[in-house]
Amino acid sequence: MLKVENVVKVFNKGSVNEKTALDHISFFQKKGEFVTIIGSNGAGKSTFLNAIAGNFPCDSGSISIGSRNVTKLPQYTRAEYISRVFQDPMSGTAASMTIEENLIMAFRRGEKRRLRLAIKDKDRDFFCQELSKLGLGLENRLTTKVSLLSGGQRQALTLLMATFKEPELLLLDEHTAALDPKTAEKVLQLTCEVTKGRTLTTLMITHNLDHALNIGDRTIMMHEGRIVLDIEGEERKNVTIANLLEMFERASGAQLHTDRVLFS
Amino acid sequence: MSSLVVLGTMEQGLMYAIMVLGVYLTFRILDYADLSVDGSFTLGAATAASLITAGYNPWFATLAAFVVGSLAGVFTGILHTKFKITPLLSGILTMTALYSINLRVMGKANISLLRTRTIFSDFTSIPLFEKYGVLILSLITVAIIGILTYIFLETEFGLALRATGDNELMIRSLGVNTDIMKITGLALSNGLVAFSGSYVAQNQLFADISMGIGMIIIGLASVIIGEVLIGTTSIGRTVFAVLCGGVIYRYIIAFVLQLGLVATDLKLVTALIVIFALVSPGIKKKIALPGKNE
Repeated sequence: MLKVENVVKVFNKGSVNEKTALDHISFFQKKGEFVTIIGSNGAGKSTFLNAIAGNFPCDSGSISIGSRNVTKLPQYTRAEYISRVFQDPMSGTAASMTIEENLIMAFRRGEKRRLRLAIKDKDRDFFCQELSKLGLGLENRLTTKVSLLSGGQRQALTLLMATFKEPELLLLDEHTAALDPKTAEKVLQLTCEVTKGRTLTTLMITHNLDHALNIGDRTIMMHEGRIVLDIEGEERKNVTIANLLEMFERASGAQLHTDRVLFS
Repeated sequence: MSSLVVLGTMEQGLMYAIMVLGVYLTFRILDYADLSVDGSFTLGAATAASLITAGYNPWFATLAAFVVGSLAGVFTGILHTKFKITPLLSGILTMTALYSINLRVMGKANISLLRTRTIFSDFTSIPLFEKYGVLILSLITVAIIGILTYIFLETEFGLALRATGDNELMIRSLGVNTDIMKITGLALSNGLVAFSGSYVAQNQLFADISMGIGMIIIGLASVIIGEVLIGTTSIGRTVFAVLCGGVIYRYIIAFVLQLGLVATDLKLVTALIVIFALVSPGIKKKIALPGKNE
């Protein structure tokens, strides 16, 4: 389904700040598979998702989604297949616009925007129905501006926006990291609910090793722009967090010592 | 104020309100400080005046002003999106280039429209419309443009345009080419500004090379006045507020003139209005400044 072959991305090429963010990375993901990505800061996790989403052109290599080679396509064209939830709850919604306006924009993801009235009554019924699934009471606040919602509510809304028009690929970039623990748990639970029972191919970056191992079907670990660990199935089931840290040290020759990882 | 001044100010205010709406589209909707406005206002006036004196139909000339204004906006948009020049500089470049272009269009520094046929002379020649013809035509125009703008901003395309100014990252990840949005927004904005310029020129019966100077600050002042006095709770209300802001601004200026200030002091007064609005905390809370997310 998702095929990444030999992708290289070097930032600030030729300057003293040259940084190889993706180092000949190759990755294959089956349709419907939920993969979690871990790795220390600067390992290239977000760059990896950005490369798939098309935020920047890759230096070399190719990326295909399904049977389509998207390597050369700009981000806004890839949006037809991909939806994303970012870490910052502010970045997934337009604050000055209402809940229903945000929803309809997401519902038209990847479509041509026409000169016709954006929201019709039947859309509103559908939105109410979908919003009520979040259990946040947002279904009664369709015309509220998003700027009035809390971070957790905005992130839940973003998640709904990313999934209610089913994408082929869902990219979650530490989407619970900026939320308080309780809200984070709630958003994570929603994530599991929306991805389960559907064949939603998902990539999720997390700093929580517990989540990384217990959510989804497969876990990869990145280090210095490469995938250094790839576990799934039985092997993954038997891995503990201590094992994982050990595996990381062996695979990368470095210590995974960011306190964010240890204490999460 | 005499009733004649009240009437004249209203007429002028309505014509300038079209320009204010254009400024609102870039400053507020796109969050883009577009200084091309100073040039495109004059461009509209110059185009309409030149075509009219060359014998063209004034209605056609007015429409042509909108089109060339849009082209100026497209130019600014391309400078910014394709060549990555900052918004401010792109606008200044267009404005500067337009100064020469406007002189070329007019062939001289000003054109008189005395005793020529204009859209207003067409209207005031209708029986019973002698006195209020200018007012009625301006009012109808503003109403139509206001309603069209409101409807436009509620369409799928309009939503994408608003989201481009609000959260570009997000709307691009939803599959919108934000470059196209910015160019379209700038085109519409400058089109409206030039359209307004052509109305003003036909009303005052001359076009002048310097008539656009400071227009961007007048536009911004009017946008702020409207937003503060009328509010921004919904798009429809904001569009209405901005149009009213354009009219109210003219009344403030008329009032200041009555106080004995001379016309050349007006730019100072306008700048002071904007500065006051930007620094006073109560107003600051009500308006989100361009370039800053609330």
